[in-house]
Amino acid sequence: MLNSSGYIFRETINSMKRNPWLSLASVVTVMVSLVILGYSIFFLANAANMAKSFESELEIGAFVQIEYTPEEVQDLKSQIEQMPGVESVTLVTKEQALEEFGRTIGGSQGNIVSDVGGTNPFPDKLTVKATDPQNVKALASSLESNPGLYKVRYGQDFVDQLLKFTQWLRWIGFGVVAAFGIAAVVLISINVKMNVFSRRREIQIMKLVGASNSFIRWPFLIEGLALGLVGGTFAAVIVGLGYNWITVYVQSTLTFLPVVQNEVLFRQVSIGLLLGGMVMGALGSLFSLQKFLRA
Amino acid sequence: MIQLTNVSKIYPNGARALVDVNLKIGKGNFVFLVGPSGAGKSTLIKLLYREETPTRGQVQINSKNLVRMKDREVPYLRRNIGVIFQDFKLLPNKTVFENVAFALEVIGVAKREVRNRTLATLELVGLKAKETAYPHELSGGEQQRVCVARAIINNPALLVADEPTGNLDPDTAWDIMELLYDINKRGTTIVMATHARAIVNKMQKRVIAIENGRVARDEEKGGYGYDA
Ligand SMILES: Nc1ncnc2c1ncn2[C@@H]1O[C@H](COP(=O)(O)OP(=O)(O)O)[C@@H](O)[C@H]1O
Ligand SMILES: [Mg+2]
Repeated sequence: MLNSSGYIFRETINSMKRNPWLSLASVVTVMVSLVILGYSIFFLANAANMAKSFESELEIGAFVQIEYTPEEVQDLKSQIEQMPGVESVTLVTKEQALEEFGRTIGGSQGNIVSDVGGTNPFPDKLTVKATDPQNVKALASSLESNPGLYKVRYGQDFVDQLLKFTQWLRWIGFGVVAAFGIAAVVLISINVKMNVFSRRREIQIMKLVGASNSFIRWPFLIEGLALGLVGGTFAAVIVGLGYNWITVYVQSTLTFLPVVQNEVLFRQVSIGLLLGGMVMGALGSLFSLQKFLRA
Repeated sequence: MIQLTNVSKIYPNGARALVDVNLKIGKGNFVFLVGPSGAGKSTLIKLLYREETPTRGQVQINSKNLVRMKDREVPYLRRNIGVIFQDFKLLPNKTVFENVAFALEVIGVAKREVRNRTLATLELVGLKAKETAYPHELSGGEQQRVCVARAIINNPALLVADEPTGNLDPDTAWDIMELLYDINKRGTTIVMATHARAIVNKMQKRVIAIENGRVARDEEKGGYGYDA
């Protein structure tokens, strides 16, 4: 086999030169399918991470009816503090909320009020902390029935929606990746088939002088693998650089969002994409060789 | 060395190419296959290098059974059988040297050995000077010499030839026959299908005539035997 490696390598390069556009198309489809796969994996990892961090939240955000006076708000607060399963209640007044908002967008308070139409649009907010994560849901529903509150937000509620969304995304992502993956395999197999066809004289003579079937197949198999691997490499680079860029962007602008930055996951995804490319390449080659080079 | 026992070949389209053929060819023999077009000569030759398998009967070469042989064993059989054709089957974008070396390269022979053996074989067939020429730069006779070189470079025990002089003028044909004669003298068994009356008559070798897929005549030191 060692003596043949030079021959196999030369043939692989030659065959790629023979159909440059088809080779390019194969590489690009492999790449697209794997880029989508890569981003889907990162997105799902982030969604899962986010779900986990929200799930373990003990806090419930309760928004007070806008027309309540500060005294009424204080009454409501102490009323909720008496409820079973409540650890503590903190009040963020509408003024504090406005101030906070002003800080994040970087202007003075007076300007903001006039900017948003002359009145403070923020409600008073009570942050209710439960004693036990198990109680959060029950506590939230009893708060919802309190006439003093018009909206109740809590982690699991958000988590449920997030999970429903990721479930959808999972299927759509899977479908799109599968569609592109199949297209990639088909293109690679056409690619290999055309090379088998353009080398049919050579193959005929190889068979005549006693080249083994595996020797005849190797260059084609390697060609498919190489196409897949090149596509996979591009995909890994694009997904890697792109994710890095997104991470930096999100961390500097949406500071509250927890972003997954896991070296191990990163490496696994990169290796996975390379392997995915090679598998597509190998499948493409095998499909076409099976038919052409029997016996 | 070669033994055909009750061999019949019917192609999928129903053509009966060979009917109940029995043959024995000894080691070192030189055998002509003659007969009209469509008689079954090429089919018989294809059975010998297992391009085809018989519909019925057994084909044995050096006591190896080609019918029971598995597909993956075929390459090793062919390394011991040289094949030449009327239409040469050279690779147009490879030089003479590369075309001959190809037969060794693709069975994994070391590079150095490929070079030495290729040069020696080109010398044997008288093409040393044309080493770097491409097939289209050669005469028909020279092209056929390249094919012969490619066929014998592995020192096969058997050389089969299907009308190897069919595309050559008589003088060139004789040159090729002299080459085959020399190769046969070195011990290689040769089975050659041909329509070349003069050659068959002059060489005085064993002649097997095939007609309608059957052996019609089998003579030691025979003649071509058909008129006109
Ligand atoms: N591959 C094939 N498929 C179908 N029929 C074939 C094939 N090869 C040869 N034949 C038929 O078999 C018969 C013998 O052909 P062939 O062996 O080529 O004869 P010859 O070489 O003596 O001219 C002919 O009738 C021919 O048409
Ligand atoms: Mg014929």
